[in-house]
Amino acid sequence: MTHVRFLFLRLVLLTCLASPIPASAGIIVNPDVEVRSISISSLRNIYTLRQILWPNHHPIVVFVLPDDNPVHVAFAKEVLGLYPYRLREVWDRMSFSGMASAPIQVNDENEMRARVRATPGGIGYTSKDMVYDGIKTLRLE
Amino acid sequence: MTASRLSGWSSLLLSGLLAISPAWADELAGPRYHIQGFAAQGLIGSTNNNFFGNSRDGVSTEFTEAGLHGTWQPLDAMRLSGQVLYRRAGASDKDGVRVDYAQADWQFYQTTTTQLGLKFGKVKLPYGLYNETRDVPFTRPGILLPQSVYVDNSRDLLLAAPGAFLHGASVQKYGATDFLLGWVRPDFDSPSVDYSFLGTTRPGKLKGKGALGARLRWDLPTDTTLMLTYANATGDYTPGNADVLRAGNIHFRNLLFSAQQRLDTLTLTAEYGEPRFDTANFGPFLPNSHRVIQAAYLQGEWRFLPAWELMLRHDIFYRDKHDKSGRQFAAATGLPAHSMFARDTTLGLRWDTTPNLMLRAEFHHVDGTGWLPGPDNPVFLSREQRWNMWLLQAAYRF
Repeated sequence: MTHVRFLFLRLVLLTCLASPIPASAGIIVNPDVEVRSISISSLRNIYTLRQILWPNHHPIVVFVLPDDNPVHVAFAKEVLGLYPYRLREVWDRMSFSGMASAPIQVNDENEMRARVRATPGGIGYTSKDMVYDGIKTLRLE
Repeated sequence: MTASRLSGWSSLLLSGLLAISPAWADELAGPRYHIQGFAAQGLIGSTNNNFFGNSRDGVSTEFTEAGLHGTWQPLDAMRLSGQVLYRRAGASDKDGVRVDYAQADWQFYQTTTTQLGLKFGKVKLPYGLYNETRDVPFTRPGILLPQSVYVDNSRDLLLAAPGAFLHGASVQKYGATDFLLGWVRPDFDSPSVDYSFLGTTRPGKLKGKGALGARLRWDLPTDTTLMLTYANATGDYTPGNADVLRAGNIHFRNLLFSAQQRLDTLTLTAEYGEPRFDTANFGPFLPNSHRVIQAAYLQGEWRFLPAWELMLRHDIFYRDKHDKSGRQFAAATGLPAHSMFARDTTLGLRWDTTPNLMLRAEFHHVDGTGWLPGPDNPVFLSREQRWNMWLLQAAYRF
């Protein structure tokens, strides 16, 4: 019996560790972005291309990972509260009609950090809420 | 231009699109520019009537779509964008490669929550939920759009036209709103438009005089979208050689209501319109007429797995709201009553195989020939009231 319970606990622990849900997903921006924190609704407006300027009126450049990347799936669902396919619907509608640019897609988290570091007004996300050189991490309100 | 002259171009464009590998994709987007594209091929089979080629009791391969889209922001407040499109749709669309739209958008007022702009050039026309991206297979709820509202028959009218639109968008606590208001000169001059408005292809030329377009969209915090589109267009006819028609005019008005509710993985959509259509001064062979069309559909989409979606739709179209069965029309003209209506029940399946590849299958059961493409079914009397259609489509994007 205790053996079974131990197994069960191990299973729970394993699923927690393996789960891609970033309880502390990191929102990263280029250091020239003059904000320290961001609200979920603001983040949602940025990722649905409705907010295109930072408060200092510099244009926002949005970076994303591929639609089926686990970090992207987790960011979309857990942080934005939107399924990845709904985000894609919005980007396609806005971009193919010429009203906005779709977010710039990068291949992995390393590239995400590199592009956000190098792009004024850039915003992206990583799986861990860590401090990286030359990138600002935003606090979620 | 003829289809044969363009077939070389189109295969070049198609192979070019397919040759772009994901490794290149890194170069296709930057902070100020973005290039994207798609290519799709369909297979169509049907009973009793043709749709986009010889699909009756066979398989038509004549439904191909490919597009190359680019956008460039030379200034923070200026966006240039355009799309080159290749499209083949049976006998209804043999134009091959064309410039779908090319517009400049000057956003003269920008804050973090509000934008106002003026777009001009050959601009995309706002019409309902799907029109502006109607040729991008990934943005459609099915292989075919609901034919009642988005009539591929008179699609040339709805695509893009030279003109200008004032537009604005704002996001507030009550949700996001946007509007478009503008004036364009729509393209009436195509065989399929002749078919739908003048009964058959005519030797003369139908020319758009001017059209007013307006749209209001409201995305509520409850995951609801409400939309109103208004269109008001007029066209003049110049008779051709040995033409039985005189120099007449046509007038088209429509107020289209759109509603969408998103509930977790479920999307419910409805659109309803009563387009009003008048013809006048065409002489004895096309008496003056005033008709109220009724077009509506109800649609459910269910993402039952992250990459799989099921779609069910019921779509109705009545060419004359006051003669839905077509009996009065049949009595007056001797032509079949079923050309005055169409009720389409559609079941569709979508599989996003990879983020770049989508496969789709769709089945239609149709009662009526109200939106049957005329050029694919030139013999009026051999059209049949009840027909089925299945479609398969593979679509690639980069």
